[in-house]
Amino acid sequence: MSSLNSSSSIMANKSLNCLEIEQHEETISDSFICCVCLDLLYKPIVLECGHVSCFWCVHNSMDAIHESHCPICRHPYHHFPTICEMMHFLLSKMYPLAYKRREKQILEEETVKNCFSPQLDCKELKSSNGSIPSHDSNMLSGQASSSCITRVDKDSSNMDSNCSASIKERDLPAIERVSSSGVLCPACEQLLYRPAVLNCGHVYCEACIVVPEDGIIICKVCDYPHPSDCPNVCLELNNFLEEQFPIKYSARRKSVEEKQARFQHKNPSSCSISKKSTKKGFITPYRGSEEFIPWWSEHGSKVHAGAGCDYCGMYPIVGDRYRCQDCVELIGFDLCGDCYNTQSKRPGRFNQQHTADHRFELVKQPDFLRNIMLRLVGGNLVDSSGAPVLAVNAIEDPPDGWIAVESVDDLENIHNNVAAADETVGDILHDDSDTQDGSIEVEFSDALEFSDNNVTSLSHHDHNNMDQDGNDDPPF
Amino acid sequence: MSTINGSYSDNTPSTTPAGLPAKQNVAPVKAVDTQSVLKRLQSELMSLMMSGDPGISAFPEEDNIFNWKGTIHGSNETVFEGTEYKLALSFPADYPFKPPKVKFETGCFHPNVDVFGNICLDILQDKWSSAYDVRTILLSIQSLLGEPNTSSPLNTQAAALWSNQEEYRKMVEKHYKPSTA
Repeated sequence: MSSLNSSSSIMANKSLNCLEIEQHEETISDSFICCVCLDLLYKPIVLECGHVSCFWCVHNSMDAIHESHCPICRHPYHHFPTICEMMHFLLSKMYPLAYKRREKQILEEETVKNCFSPQLDCKELKSSNGSIPSHDSNMLSGQASSSCITRVDKDSSNMDSNCSASIKERDLPAIERVSSSGVLCPACEQLLYRPAVLNCGHVYCEACIVVPEDGIIICKVCDYPHPSDCPNVCLELNNFLEEQFPIKYSARRKSVEEKQARFQHKNPSSCSISKKSTKKGFITPYRGSEEFIPWWSEHGSKVHAGAGCDYCGMYPIVGDRYRCQDCVELIGFDLCGDCYNTQSKRPGRFNQQHTADHRFELVKQPDFLRNIMLRLVGGNLVDSSGAPVLAVNAIEDPPDGWIAVESVDDLENIHNNVAAADETVGDILHDDSDTQDGSIEVEFSDALEFSDNNVTSLSHHDHNNMDQDGNDDPPF
Repeated sequence: MSTINGSYSDNTPSTTPAGLPAKQNVAPVKAVDTQSVLKRLQSELMSLMMSGDPGISAFPEEDNIFNWKGTIHGSNETVFEGTEYKLALSFPADYPFKPPKVKFETGCFHPNVDVFGNICLDILQDKWSSAYDVRTILLSIQSLLGEPNTSSPLNTQAAALWSNQEEYRKMVEKHYKPSTA
């Protein structure tokens, strides 16, 4: 990263200057570079496929009106996971300088957005105890903070005694700060072997995650039901542990393999042996294909675009949505129907200061929103062969109706503002009738009936329509 | 939680239909944090220059790091062998959460490229992932050259001719106007 002799251009010099700060920092292992921001992972989130990204990188990569896909492997998921605190503390110990820089940088960005990620700085919580500064107090409550504090206690007390031992294991500056006491499985209380992370952010050995009869994995630490299948092993963390604690890790491998061999026939519910995919009370993500239409046709009419449940992380909320009337934060506080009814008590996914006495209102899914979304489905879909439907660029002066639906994001501007948006819908529909090609309107009403076939054919038609509209395109 | 305007704002505000109201209760935050986009583009540039992938290159325009010029060479043993294409990449303010707009600047006779240089490639549309970067985009376009999707063409003439590789090669040569710049 440091040497760049090949170019003397201004831009390259600029980049050098920018990266200069980092030269004083620790060298960061490639496994802990976020694939989205290409910097050290900050407040890492482990998706159920086992891939890791920063809190904001995951959140910003998620789809506001549809289930999301892992940026790396496209594994579909629907629930925004909680930050993996174990990795957070691990990274802050391994790369104190770089992590501090990231913290500062993200805080600046958050201040601009006026929207903050959850605070995990337990040391501050511990030291100031009762008199917590107001901007820190909003983050953690109840059991979450107490379990956090215990962990820090354990870590710091063990760190001194284990320090010399870990230096012997590997002679790298980052290593001495990490002791194996910070990377234990809460179930077997031993060094994590093949770690997998639940949606709540707690890390277990893959073999320690037990799938019960009903198929819903419950976290032992926080009682939070994991919303999907048994998560995959987080390979980055796994490789790190294997490198970091080679002796302990190989001992763990041996014991786990022996145990598995012994109990294989007795313990069929263990995750590594059987995977159940049927879930009660949760929406199973559409796994057959990542096409838009099937998922949409199943859930589309119940989607609350851009709104996520702050308890289970479902994003966007499908079904009933309850919005807190008393939370003042920009991000708001929402619950899905299930979480509202179970009255679960967990802190918000961001920094909301939500308390139990806050009042909720049921948010109705307005019909007009659905209509707009149908238009969006028609406008943004790609036909089965992967060709873009909306080649707006190909038209010099496209009809207004097309422009209006060019971006899914436009939707968010409308979202939540029924009165004003109604006008917009009128506009859009009006524009539609203005377009030269009358068939568009017909197809739109077709799509309202909302069968897969109609929508698919709609997208095919669009492609053709665009060609007709832009028929000043001379062929080659 | 619900989406905040700023983080998802469209990169081309001019195309937003007039009169769309800002979300209720939410201050019209349009300040996208360009700092992180800049940082990411700079790291991409660094790694792209270090990697030295054969057949692809890209560099920002002098005054604007949000606009890049890229070059790809037609792969050997394809009808595009020996040709070189210039591309324009323009990055939105919410890159990498939205794909960059990529266009051919050199005319390219290809089933999935239209006369204006627009490219029909799923990863630049709905299959975009925030883990993609300039390098993967250029490599994808390079492989698209040799493996077009003829079932939904932007250039129907090219799609029809694809089966006849000899004739196709002649057309590639006929349409190929290497930029002098």
